[in-house]
Amino acid sequence: MRAVLTALTTAAAQREAVALITVMSAEGEFADARRRHLVVWPDARPPVGDLTIGALQPQLLAAARQAINQRRHTQLHYQTEQGALTLFVEVQPQPYHLIIAGAGHVAVPLATMAALCDFTVTVLDDRPQYANRQRFPTAHRVIAGPFREELCKLRGNRPTFDAQTCLVLVTRGHQYDVELLLEVLDDPLAYLGMIGSRRRIRAVYELLEQERGIPRHKFDRVHAPIGLNIGAQTPAEIAVAILAEIINTVRGGAIA
Amino acid sequence: MAANFYQQLQALLDEGLTVAVATIVNVKGSTPREVGAKMIIHPYGQHIGTVGGGCGEADVIRAGLDVLTDGQPRTVRIDLTEPIAMQSTGVCGGILDVFIERWAPDAETMESH
Repeated sequence: MRAVLTALTTAAAQREAVALITVMSAEGEFADARRRHLVVWPDARPPVGDLTIGALQPQLLAAARQAINQRRHTQLHYQTEQGALTLFVEVQPQPYHLIIAGAGHVAVPLATMAALCDFTVTVLDDRPQYANRQRFPTAHRVIAGPFREELCKLRGNRPTFDAQTCLVLVTRGHQYDVELLLEVLDDPLAYLGMIGSRRRIRAVYELLEQERGIPRHKFDRVHAPIGLNIGAQTPAEIAVAILAEIINTVRGGAIA
Repeated sequence: MAANFYQQLQALLDEGLTVAVATIVNVKGSTPREVGAKMIIHPYGQHIGTVGGGCGEADVIRAGLDVLTDGQPRTVRIDLTEPIAMQSTGVCGGILDVFIERWAPDAETMESH
């Protein structure tokens, strides 16, 4: 039990995905599995815990890893001639990483609310008087530095951002937003949104198509103007609209 | 939420307490909380988390106290499908299955195996 709990709390602290397998019922040849647990990682690290179910173990580990990848809790049933087993795979998913480029008026409430919703939040701005800890006490990281260079560094040693990353472009100048947009246009981000009026954004896309030859369809997945259209006016309300749009996107919500 | 949950569970076990953990493992229809929602049933009533509140949760707490007593894990079905006109708080319209098991500080777990 102790090793299982330690594995779960350590994974949470390191913001790593894991699954906890719990035995709900076990009959016949599986009776010994009652009350046992196993923590499984998405990669091949050895699981931690006291649950073993013989020949079905590889199948169980594969099912748990699939549940992690799908970010979905799953019930499993195994039935053999000699017994029956029901398990619950509880997924502790890796939190989504929200990068907010631009540390202005919208970024402050957005960073606060996103942390409440369990996002790992990074705020980036080239102005240290805006990008600092005092302004963003709940953010995981606050970076003051050149936009494009620092954003690229956030990819780590990977060539692109992954599908667990959301990017919100709300810098003080549209030229920075566009520069960053072009940098990540081919990355498989979970969410990509950019602030700006409908008219302004249309003009930007036209310009990029004419001057850089970037086909219009490449912008289809960009959420711009950013945020659900709920009539938001104040910076805090706009932050609500943005976060609602991100949740709608990553959770597969009903709003088209 | 999940992160916090296991840290809180660990803290209770570190105090030497034995608790019951309830997890929603299946839902049908409209329910107040989702699959995976968890709750700690505390022997002295200082429960943590929620599996939906109201009448359904009272049933889960009762079952959790039974689990604390006999150590037998069990799955309870909470039915919230009574007609809205009835004098009841369970008007969400759905059904949920809640698995409850006991978590004890390590020494006790070893004995029970």
